Parts: sequence; C-alpha cells; structure tokens
Amino acid sequence: MGKAKCAWFDFTSCEGCQIEMTNFGEPFLELLEHVQPVEFREAMSEKAEEIDVAFIEGSFSREADRARLEDIRKRAKIVVAYGACATSGGINALKNHQDREDYKEFVYGKDKDMPHLDTQEAKPISAAIKVDYEIRGCPISRDDFVNVVSQLLHGTEKVYIPSYPVCVECKLRETVCQYDQGGHCLGQIARAGCGAPCPADGIPCEACRGLIDHPNLEASVKVLKEKGKLPARWAESKARMFTANLLPDAKAD
Amino acid sequence: MPTYHLSETELSSWVNAIMATQPVIGPVAKKSRFVFDRLEDSADLRLDYDTTILPPKKAFFPPKQDLLHFDASGVRGAIKPESKVLFGVHPYDIKAIHMLDVLFAEGHPDHAYLANREATTIIGSSVQNHYQHAFFGTASPSVPVQGHDAFLTKIPDGYTLDILSEKGRKLIEGQNFKPASAEQTAASEKVNEDAKANCPEKLTYTSEEIKAKLKASWDSPLWEEASQDCFSCGSCNTTCSTCYCFDVQDTWNIDQKSGKRYRRWDACMTTEFAEVSVQGGTENFRETKAARYRHRMMRKAAYLNDKLGGPACVGCGRCSGACTADIANPVNFIDKLMKS
Ligand code: SF4
Ligand code: SF4
Ligand code: SF4
Ligand code: SF4
Ligand code: SF4
Repeated sequence: MGKAKCAWFDFTSCEGCQIEMTNFGEPFLELLEHVQPVEFREAMSEKAEEIDVAFIEGSFSREADRARLEDIRKRAKIVVAYGACATSGGINALKNHQDREDYKEFVYGKDKDMPHLDTQEAKPISAAIKVDYEIRGCPISRDDFVNVVSQLLHGTEKVYIPSYPVCVECKLRETVCQYDQGGHCLGQIARAGCGAPCPADGIPCEACRGLIDHPNLEASVKVLKEKGKLPARWAESKARMFTANLLPDAKAD
Repeated sequence: MPTYHLSETELSSWVNAIMATQPVIGPVAKKSRFVFDRLEDSADLRLDYDTTILPPKKAFFPPKQDLLHFDASGVRGAIKPESKVLFGVHPYDIKAIHMLDVLFAEGHPDHAYLANREATTIIGSSVQNHYQHAFFGTASPSVPVQGHDAFLTKIPDGYTLDILSEKGRKLIEGQNFKPASAEQTAASEKVNEDAKANCPEKLTYTSEEIKAKLKASWDSPLWEEASQDCFSCGSCNTTCSTCYCFDVQDTWNIDQKSGKRYRRWDACMTTEFAEVSVQGGTENFRETKAARYRHRMMRKAAYLNDKLGGPACVGCGRCSGACTADIANPVNFIDKLMKS
C-alpha cells in the first residue's frame, strides 16, 4: 500500500469539518502516515496535476464554482464529498425554502446587491460533478471518516455505510430515549453511522447525516406533534434542517 | 435444593462478598430508567427496578463484540470469557436467556456465546415493581423459568434465596444463612404468583390459538394497517429479550495494518436486514414494512414455538415502550388480530 496523494478543497461551509479533523487527535496521525497531502485549501503553493483522493467540503452554491469543481474532478481519481454541506447542501440549503430577497437582506443588509454576494440555491457537490464517496454529518465523525478512508486505502470497491436509523445505535448504547423524558427526536428517520452521540448527551438527534432511504416522514410529523409536543409548523419543517434538498418538497434546480 | 432466609443487611454483605471475587452485573438507575451495569458499589443495586432498557443477555452477548483480531502475524480469537455474576434477573428474562441458550447451541453452536454464557452465574430476582407494559404473567406460560443458578424473592421480612445449581451453591460458600421457614417459603411463592397475576397487560388467548390465527393470517390486510406508522427503526428488536440476530463486519484499525471482525445486534425490522447480494446488485426479500412487521410477529409467536416449547416472547413489554410510534405492543396487536 503506497501513500495516497490527497488534496483538500472547501466551498460554501463553516469549515467546521476541517476543524473536526484536526480535533481527531493522536491516533489520527497514524492514518496520516498512509497519506501524502498534495494540496490543502490553496494553502500550499503547489497545484498537483494528479490527485488520488480529493476531499471536498462545503456546498455548491455559486455557478462560478462549477469550473473549479470540474477542474478538481479532472485531476482526481476519487472524489469524496465530506460533511453535510457537501453531501446534502446542509444548513446552507435552508435558504432554498425562503424568499431570496428576504434572506439576502437579512444576512447582508445594505450590501445585499453587491455582485460577489450573489448566490444560487445551495446544492450538494454531486449537483455539479460526479462524487464517488460521501462522508456525512455536521460535523463528520472520526470513526466514519476513518472507516471510509481505510476502505479507500485498501481499495474496497463498495464502502459500507449503514442504511438503518440512529435509533439502532442509540439503543445499542442504552441511552434513555428522548421520548421517555418528554422530549422529541429525529433518530427514527436519521441515518446512523455517528454512534448516536446526541441523545447520549441529552439532546435530540437532528438528522445531521441526512435521512434513511425510506424515511416515514408522515409518522415522524405525527410523533413529533403528539409525543414530542411540537407545534404543527415546527413538526412539519423539523426534518428539513440538514436535509432540505432531500425532502419531497425540495426545490428543483 | 435448599432455600435460605436473608435480612437486608445479610443481602448487602453477601453482594459485597461476591464483588470482592468477581464482577457483579446488576440493575442500576439511569435517569428515569434502569440498566444492567457492572456494580461499583453494592448500594447502587436496584432490585426494585421495573425493567431495564436492554435485556440482561448483554452481560454475555454484548450489543457490540469483537470476535477476531488480525494483523500481519495472524488471526487471534477475541473471546476471553471472564467469570461474572449476573444479579437480579427477573423471571421473564431468565426464560428468555434459556431460549437463547437453546438457539445458540443448536445447529452450528455459537462458541462465542456459549463460552461467555458458561462463565456467567445468574441470580434471579422477584419483580417488585411492574414495567407499565409488562405482560409476562400470560406470555409463553408453557415455558418454565429455568437455567438460572439461584433466585432471590423479596418478602415482607427480608428475602428468600433458592439455591438451584452447583454454581449457585459456590456463591454462598462461607455465608451463614439460616434456612427459610415454611411461612417464609410460602410467602415467597405467593409473591412470585402475585407478580404474574398483577401484570398491567394481559394476553387473553392461548399460545396455540394465537399461533393458529397468525398462520392463517398471512394475507391479512392487518399487516399493512398495523405497520402504517412504522419507522423500520428496529427498537422493538434491539430491546427484545429473545432477539438473537447479529450482523458481522470486518474493519481496519486506524494504523491500517491491523483490524478486527466484530458483531453487532441486528434488527429484522430495519430495511437492510433482509438485503442480500445477488448477481448485479442487491435484492431485499422483505421489501415492505408490512412484510417486516409480519415477520417479527411470526418470529415471536409462531415460528419458534416448537423448538422452544412455547412462543419466543416472554412478555417483558420492552418493545411496547421502546416503539416511539406505539405500534409494537404484542398484546394490542394480538387482540386486534384475534378479533379480525
Ligand atoms: S432518543 Fe432518539 S435516537 Fe434514541 S431511541 Fe429515542 S428516538 Fe431513537
Ligand atoms: S445523533 Fe443525529 S444529530 Fe447527532 S451526530 Fe448523529 S445524526 Fe447527527
Ligand atoms: S416481543 Fe416484546 S414483549 Fe416479547 S420478549 Fe420481545 S421485547 Fe419483550
Ligand atoms: S429475526 Fe428479527 S425478531 Fe427474530 S431474532 Fe432476529 S431480529 Fe429478532
Ligand atoms: S414497530 Fe415501532 S419500534 Fe419496531 S421498527 Fe416499527 S417503529 Fe420501530
């Protein structure tokens, strides 16, 4: 197993996933022994002609970014989108369901019409280029990242990610259910892989890794209202926080 | 085998004596619920628990368990049985453990399970408080409470302790317990009978009636109807006393040179459970939530009855409480089915 030439790029995001990677700590350095960084957020002066694995963070939210993404795709053998922004549009995609003038005014105030602040709807990286692997989560979790990278390094063709929901992992670590404490949760429809840290820390799962393949959204809204005691409007839009582009009412391009 | 009488003080000094020689796993409080956990202090033991989030099988069949470790030098088994005492198991969970003993020993015996099980001494406990969904008084009545090593019953003036096996006898060596009187033994029998009779929920049909009706209802519209709100979340499996399916995965360690094979409790209610590789892709042989819901009910009340001497549901009620959609409760479903 030679060292894999890896490059990191970022688009519309809070860069939290990069920070999370630096938080992975000591054992993570062992993984880096198998990796040769060739390009890092333009922080390295060199531009690599050939990249084994390109890691892309952030969502595709400006048409102007398309050329840069296509250039990465051309140079990279494997493209990995990591983090919710890159894989689903993430938090950024919340604006897709709001009036464009409203959110521009709210965020940028009097500067809202400056040309460099113009954005389109926030989309996952896969809306612009072909993505080979996705590492979900806001932010990504260490075990998940290591799992995908290990499988890539060893040349596994199909990377296994769970299609069952967070409840499975939550139960396996014997967390007291949010619904047993008068709370609410999206764990029943959220895709697992993170190890269910949020309910274990006493906060609801917000489905930051997106939804399972066939989420029972109707039942979710019903349970959020009846058991979780959420007001109807909140219950109905709850699952949208990280998955605006994945829900049936998502806006088309 | 003999029955003794223990005072509250004798009980705690006995627990301390066992803890001095080996790990003791017992029910302890966790927020509003209870869990089986390794006791740090005998005062944490909560024999008044109603039920635990996960069943006690986890003491020898953990939710996640390494089976093998490998590196360039070879492969090593990761099962290292450790003597331990599982303390305070309710009768319905004792029944369930015995069912697992039968299922893991048949066909290709599961040595990982059997070795850890063998190293465990089980001390049962009477039910002092009922979980709100418990129906163990009417679940699988033909299956006896068996396979444990001792049983402790709370009676008005302390506890009676039945010693039921050689493993159980070993645990009281050096103790000076007095034999229980005839009144004390009678009181403990009544406590355990009452616990069954006082379950908050009840099945009102026999196991045979339920099994026959289930088998005749393969095409019933009820499956679709009952599973409408199902999330396919598997909580009714992962909390179940008698579920025994697991998934096996191989992973690399972070160094990319060594790795492990582990297993994890699986759940037939999730969509990927019945997904198998076929040429050119995958195929799911229980595609709909109705088919999965039917499968679970069949597994619990029909398919395994002959093998186990009764249905593979012991009435702990954990599934009913764990289901956030409120549809997993076997008592409610069976009532609806029998009336259909
Ligand atoms: S807390 Fe959330 S994730 Fe955990 S079991 Fe309850 S609903 Fe599922
Ligand atoms: S528990 Fe839910 S919100 Fe928390 S990390 Fe997992 S998927 Fe994200
Ligand atoms: S089916 Fe439900 S009540 Fe029956 S043993 Fe399993 S968890 Fe307990
Ligand atoms: S098939 Fe389903 S119900 Fe049966 S043991 Fe396995 S997970 Fe449990
Ligand atoms: S019946 Fe309830 S607990 Fe079981 S998979 Fe469906 S929603 Fe989850």
